[in-house]
Amino acid sequence: MRSKRTGWLLLAPTLIILFIVGFLPFLYVLYVGFFDWNVFSQEAGMTFAGVNNYRRLVFDTDFLNAVWLTLRFTAVSVLSQLVLGFLLAQLLTRDFPGKSFFRIVHTLPLMIAPIVVGAIWRLLTIPGLGPVPYFLDRWFGFDYRIGQFADHAFITTVLMDIWHWTPFVTLTLLAGLTTMPIEVTEAARVDGANRWQLFRYITLPLLRPVILTTLFIRIMDGLRIVDEVWMLTGGGPGTATRYVGIHIWRVVFPKTDYGYGSAMSILTLYFTIVICWLLYVSISQKRSSD
Amino acid sequence: MKKFAGFLCLALVFVLGFGVVNAADEAWWQAAAAPYAGTTIRGVSESTPPSNYVKDVLAPQFTALTGINVEFETTSWDQMYDKAIKDMEAGTGIYDFVYIEQDIIYSYLARDFLVNISAALAAKPELASPEFSMDDFTTFLDYFKNADGDVFGIPMEAFIKVYLYRTDLFEDAAIQEAYRAEFGTDLVPATTHEEYTQIAQFFTAYAEANGLELWGTTVQAASGHPASFYEFFESVAPTFGVYNWGINTENWKATVANGGEMNSDAAKAALTWWLNNLQFAPPESTSSTWDEVAASFAAGRAAQGLVYGENAAWIATDPDRSRVVGNVGVALPPLAAGVLEAAEAGDGYIGYYDGGAFGLPITSKNQDAALLWLQFIGLPEVQADWAVAGSRVTQQATFDEPAVIAADEATNGYYTMFKEQGYLFAGAPAFPFHAQVREVVAPFIYRAIAGELSPADALDQAAAAADAELVNLGYGS
Repeated sequence: MRSKRTGWLLLAPTLIILFIVGFLPFLYVLYVGFFDWNVFSQEAGMTFAGVNNYRRLVFDTDFLNAVWLTLRFTAVSVLSQLVLGFLLAQLLTRDFPGKSFFRIVHTLPLMIAPIVVGAIWRLLTIPGLGPVPYFLDRWFGFDYRIGQFADHAFITTVLMDIWHWTPFVTLTLLAGLTTMPIEVTEAARVDGANRWQLFRYITLPLLRPVILTTLFIRIMDGLRIVDEVWMLTGGGPGTATRYVGIHIWRVVFPKTDYGYGSAMSILTLYFTIVICWLLYVSISQKRSSD
Repeated sequence: MKKFAGFLCLALVFVLGFGVVNAADEAWWQAAAAPYAGTTIRGVSESTPPSNYVKDVLAPQFTALTGINVEFETTSWDQMYDKAIKDMEAGTGIYDFVYIEQDIIYSYLARDFLVNISAALAAKPELASPEFSMDDFTTFLDYFKNADGDVFGIPMEAFIKVYLYRTDLFEDAAIQEAYRAEFGTDLVPATTHEEYTQIAQFFTAYAEANGLELWGTTVQAASGHPASFYEFFESVAPTFGVYNWGINTENWKATVANGGEMNSDAAKAALTWWLNNLQFAPPESTSSTWDEVAASFAAGRAAQGLVYGENAAWIATDPDRSRVVGNVGVALPPLAAGVLEAAEAGDGYIGYYDGGAFGLPITSKNQDAALLWLQFIGLPEVQADWAVAGSRVTQQATFDEPAVIAADEATNGYYTMFKEQGYLFAGAPAFPFHAQVREVVAPFIYRAIAGELSPADALDQAAAAADAELVNLGYGS
């Protein structure tokens, strides 16, 4: 009984902070989402709108495009990070010259703030000034312009995200790989399992909890990306990289449409939870059927 | 050592503060500020040459003179609005003075965000500096008045968006000869859109043939930033005779069908012309806001361009930042037939008269100290050096200061043009819904830049979206 009370006491500061900076703002945004509230409209105050903001969202092609774009971005970048991260984690389980140096350098992007990552990539890729377009043009005759061509901008944001977050995936998968019981692998080897069979029937099932956790974290991060892309492309060209986070930011702040923007935020949160839940259910069911 | 350091501090205070106003006025400032000595007032603005001058020079001078500390954030344009509006809307009172760009004043007035400075000074004569007078300002002050003529912002920057061109290129005998041989006319700054494009095309081809990193024109066409919206609607569309973003101010409609002009033939011709110039612009143009346009011109990457006047002085005179020092000419923007005559008659305008003021939020907790600060930045004594550093002039007498006359020569007449032809330019229209309509319309301009929409389709869709948003905001039906 005493230890239970001590546990709650120790948790209390964290819970209080989370309640104040996480739960209360969430409740406020939920509340505001049921109102029309644009501070520069003729009726500047809050007007109760019921679920009208949510109804509008269903037919808002700009919002739906932003959601679809974000899903594409997240799918491409997270899957790429998973594959690359796994290969790098496998590499780091072996010994090779310069391994320590490589591990440090490979981890460096993780330490950089997202807004700085955006600034770095902007300096690298800005047409006419950055080295990337310069060398692509000089060596391959490739006219690379993230301010002009939608596909160039989209791919660049994906590459930037991969560059920034693959080290995180590598580190988590490496932690999973190094804690795997070696006896199981050795037993499988003795039984004659080849590399593919080792990966398919031993490594992958044992790594599944780590992969699942990593996927959740990265999918949630991907769906709410703002800073890097805002710095790199501002959501352009056109609306090519106007991911849902940037779209919400533009509606809430420059457009000061607080009610509608709050509804967008809540719906986006709902999407994120549903996607993660679907992923969890599908992987869990597959796991139990295995 | 300590004595020496103390002496240095005293000397610095003297140089910074007491040199600004004369001895009698120093006494007034010290007496007026005495109750607030040690107070810290906080402000926020966009990081621009005039704002940076305030931060680096005027704020320390004011502190030295009055003992009132000034904390002044200069940040990005987006962040400046974000911080200021959130502070005033939430009533947190973080800021004691905020930058009010001319185009946002109507929104702020509609929301009663700002203190009536005229009334505040009248109510507290002990805080009204004898040196400060609203009469010193140019007519730009009128943008910051309400219908009763009361002032809600003290102008801190004002400039016009001008046509800059490279005098070294335009006056080069060989280039002139080549131009004459190709087009049969002299190479002079363009007065029409056709001439402008012709010059842009010529210099782009000339640079390509000679292996130069030079293009024919700048274009402020960031394809995900409102800077492109502004260049089109405030600098380009008026030169085709499309004013007020093409919104009919009688009924708040943008579509031609409803009496607006946003998707008129003239507006479509303007957008087509502007986008066509992209092929003669540096590759960074579709990522360029106002800052990058100035940087591109200063780096010598464009032969001509429409550049915000706040950058004209440093581009023309600062060798640490510009590679075209001494080679910058200024001219009026190229115009469609009849636009200049209309502007001269007061029936239109030919470009953007930009600028801003410092206002006092009603949520400020240090209004008296901030009131002193706002008067300080409006003193005639501080204007000349500020005008040279930031190419900004807010008071009529500043044009006649020796430092400004010298700067006028260095910029080949920017200040003279500003003084004598500034009346042809105009600030943003008096829209309380400025940011809201901009956010709705801008994506169509971005998509036109990216080639996703034709100019005609972009403006048709933009105008329809603007009509819908205005109804949504309660303007028109």
